[in-house]
Amino acid sequence: MLSPIIIGQVIVNGLSLSAIYVLIALGFTLLFGIMRVVNFAHGAFAMLGGYALYYLYGKYALPYPLAVPLAALIVAVLSLVLETLVFRWFYQKMFQSMIGLLGLNMALMFSSVIVWDVYERSIPPAFSGVLRLGGLILAADRLMVIGIAIIALLAFWLFMTKTRYGVAMRATADDVEIAEAQGIDTRTIYRLAFLVAIFMTALAGGLYAQIYALSPFMGERPLIVAFVVVILGGMGSIPGAALGGVILGFTESILSTFYGAAVSSFVSFGVVIALLIFRPWGLLGKPE
Amino acid sequence: MSTLLQVEGLTRVYGGLRAVGDLSFSVGQNEILGLIGPNGAGKTTVVNLVSGVVKPSAGRVAFKNEDVTGMAPHLLARRGLVRTFQATVVYGDRTVRENAMRGAYLTLYPGFVATLFDTPAAKRKREAAEALVSELLDWLELTSVADTIAGSMPYGYQKTLGIVIALAARPSLILLDEPVAGLSAHETDQVRDTIKRVRERGITVVVIDHNMRFISGLCDRVVVIAHGQELAQGAPRDVLRDPKVIEAYLGKSYAAARAE
Amino acid sequence: MTDTTSETVRVGELGPTGAFERKAQDAGNHRVRNLLILAFVAFAALWPLVHENTFLLTMGTLVALSVIGATSLHLIIRTGHISFAHAGFMGVGAYVCVLLVMKLQLPFAVSLAGGAAAAAALALLIGPVVLRLTGKYFVLVTFLLGEIIRMVFVEWTSMTGGSNGIFGIPAPYPALAEPHAFYYFALAAALLCVGFCARILTSEVGRAMDSVRESERVAQCSGIPALQLKVTIFVIACALAGVHGALLAHFLHYVDPSSFGMVDSLNLVVMNVIGGMNHLIGPIIGSVFLTILPELLRGYVELQRVIFGIILIVVMAALPGGILELTARVRRLLASRRS
Repeated sequence: MLSPIIIGQVIVNGLSLSAIYVLIALGFTLLFGIMRVVNFAHGAFAMLGGYALYYLYGKYALPYPLAVPLAALIVAVLSLVLETLVFRWFYQKMFQSMIGLLGLNMALMFSSVIVWDVYERSIPPAFSGVLRLGGLILAADRLMVIGIAIIALLAFWLFMTKTRYGVAMRATADDVEIAEAQGIDTRTIYRLAFLVAIFMTALAGGLYAQIYALSPFMGERPLIVAFVVVILGGMGSIPGAALGGVILGFTESILSTFYGAAVSSFVSFGVVIALLIFRPWGLLGKPE
Repeated sequence: MSTLLQVEGLTRVYGGLRAVGDLSFSVGQNEILGLIGPNGAGKTTVVNLVSGVVKPSAGRVAFKNEDVTGMAPHLLARRGLVRTFQATVVYGDRTVRENAMRGAYLTLYPGFVATLFDTPAAKRKREAAEALVSELLDWLELTSVADTIAGSMPYGYQKTLGIVIALAARPSLILLDEPVAGLSAHETDQVRDTIKRVRERGITVVVIDHNMRFISGLCDRVVVIAHGQELAQGAPRDVLRDPKVIEAYLGKSYAAARAE
Repeated sequence: MTDTTSETVRVGELGPTGAFERKAQDAGNHRVRNLLILAFVAFAALWPLVHENTFLLTMGTLVALSVIGATSLHLIIRTGHISFAHAGFMGVGAYVCVLLVMKLQLPFAVSLAGGAAAAAALALLIGPVVLRLTGKYFVLVTFLLGEIIRMVFVEWTSMTGGSNGIFGIPAPYPALAEPHAFYYFALAAALLCVGFCARILTSEVGRAMDSVRESERVAQCSGIPALQLKVTIFVIACALAGVHGALLAHFLHYVDPSSFGMVDSLNLVVMNVIGGMNHLIGPIIGSVFLTILPELLRGYVELQRVIFGIILIVVMAALPGGILELTARVRRLLASRRS
């Protein structure tokens, strides 16, 4: 049963799922950690990222390395309109944000149905074929996903640790009032954090849509993933999102390979609920 | 004087740090005991431990000769041990009378089915609670503001209302967590008089504060704690003279206060 | 604190006369309220008689049924928790009732009780654990819980028929096969449910629920067993949700997992939010609004959902108290004009 093919598949699937999950969850945790909004519309932004990639790469055939970041950037920049119209009202209001953004999720999802209809589309793979590494057989498109995610995460890490804005964002996440007292313009930081969060989510959404399928309803899964990962790692914790993403990615990869997708979902939801009950602040979060 | 509350070797460890270590004291029937210490001494932790909000890591709390260590707050309330909170905690959007009625839950609540059918027993309980609340409001001169929304009242009134809510549970002992924090000198004096009158009702009082003057003018006995440990215990006058207390805890601020 | 201080009476301004006037006004409000309730019930009772249209009758039945779900969720909300798994409990009630009727040939009344009991049992199992969690964590747990329950409906094909569901569910009783009869049956069930919820909320249990929601710590120190109270209410509410699900299944003559997912739980929450979460009338207004509105926009299902979403955003951003708050504001505005 444990042939090199399967081992390779489990590892590559695990890594690529982890990569996507970490990206999605980072966006979610940024929005929560800094603005205290629970972004129930997260899946919708992933879905928009999927459609953006569909047009840029699938339709207009831009070179793949250009199409991927450009698609995410377009979604992120256009979403700034939603930041002004919608998100701004819900900053630091956790409860209202949940319901209001569920509304946004619904509005975005069904607007997409009106524009693109319900049927599933597919984004052509950037690479087909496999890579042989010793006895392992690795799918090339999955390796590509891993590569893109690593670059994005590296860029994110550099941004957060090396730039002035990144440091200011972390300070705001720690304590808004202290950050404001230190002269940080939170309005700018909020917009920037929103931009970064949506960029990563849309990026992940594009990759996700390419691996699975693209439809207006594809956001449901990424939304639940964001929940699960962020709860695992601890709400608002950036390292927690990374850890949670990797745990969920590999758990799903292993369980769905050997026991099927349903078992994998049951187990991961069950584990998360158990964790929430005994350690609601997550693996790396801080208790309140 | 018989012992009402007995605390032995109370300890609470937070992630390797001892917030409260091996603290023992007892409270006699109808006594006013002060628990004082500087900010961060672990006073609030002690209240939380005794009132069942936080479970102790070690030690024992006995109330009316019953072991109540780590018992949930609502069960303690049923046994007659009730606390107030440091921040003024009242039901801010409700009237003063409604606040007091909610405090009188133990007198008021007749059981799930009885209240749904409003049985004669339920009516009797409601009348008893209404009488209790009216009497309490009268006694603390809050009747004129009984229909005022609690959150719109001055801070001092809200503090008093916090005490009313606690008294409405008909306690035999109340634990007051910093009842004069944030109050003016005049309001502080009023609260002190209120607490003295509470004792006249036959209720035992444990009061936690760092305001030395307030405590010494009120309490029969004080326990001084610092860094979660007991520093001294005894009559306020003796404790205040204890050089250990003056040096280790009161220090300059007390010297300054005495010079005034 | 909220900025409502301007509406509240300040210390000193309120003499005995003030208090008296206030009580007189309260009594007046009660009379208005009773008249409104009477008018509403009369309207609902006469609804099938004013037209011949079966479609409108069906709408009426659906509104009545969703009132059960929405008001039962309202009970949970009034203890300070918003459950996103309520449709899951509806589903448990629906499947258990339907299976008892169809597989064991039990009478409908027994099966309905069985369905409600099953939902209640699940709530009793889960409640003591999840109701310890605070606000956002409770929302997240129930959100995932609802998904798990739905997944069980999809995966347990031998019992539930999987995604296809179960078809050919008979009317509860032959007499109720007639739409008018079922309408009155549903209306009676809804009125019973609303009456029961209203009784709970106005009793000492309701007072204790308000205490726990507004300040759990203080409530506990007054001797209120907060967790026990919340579990009791959660169990009752989930049993009622089970009744809703069971009646719905028997009305539609089929049951499938797609009626009990996230969207349906959300719908029940939205009914409460749009109507107003602080009063029992809120979810009733919400049920009417959310069942009727989609039908007005029939044929534009997508547009209707988009509009819904936008309404939700606007309500949460501008009017967290829902439609009830809107009417209160309008009333205040009119009153200030008059004076």
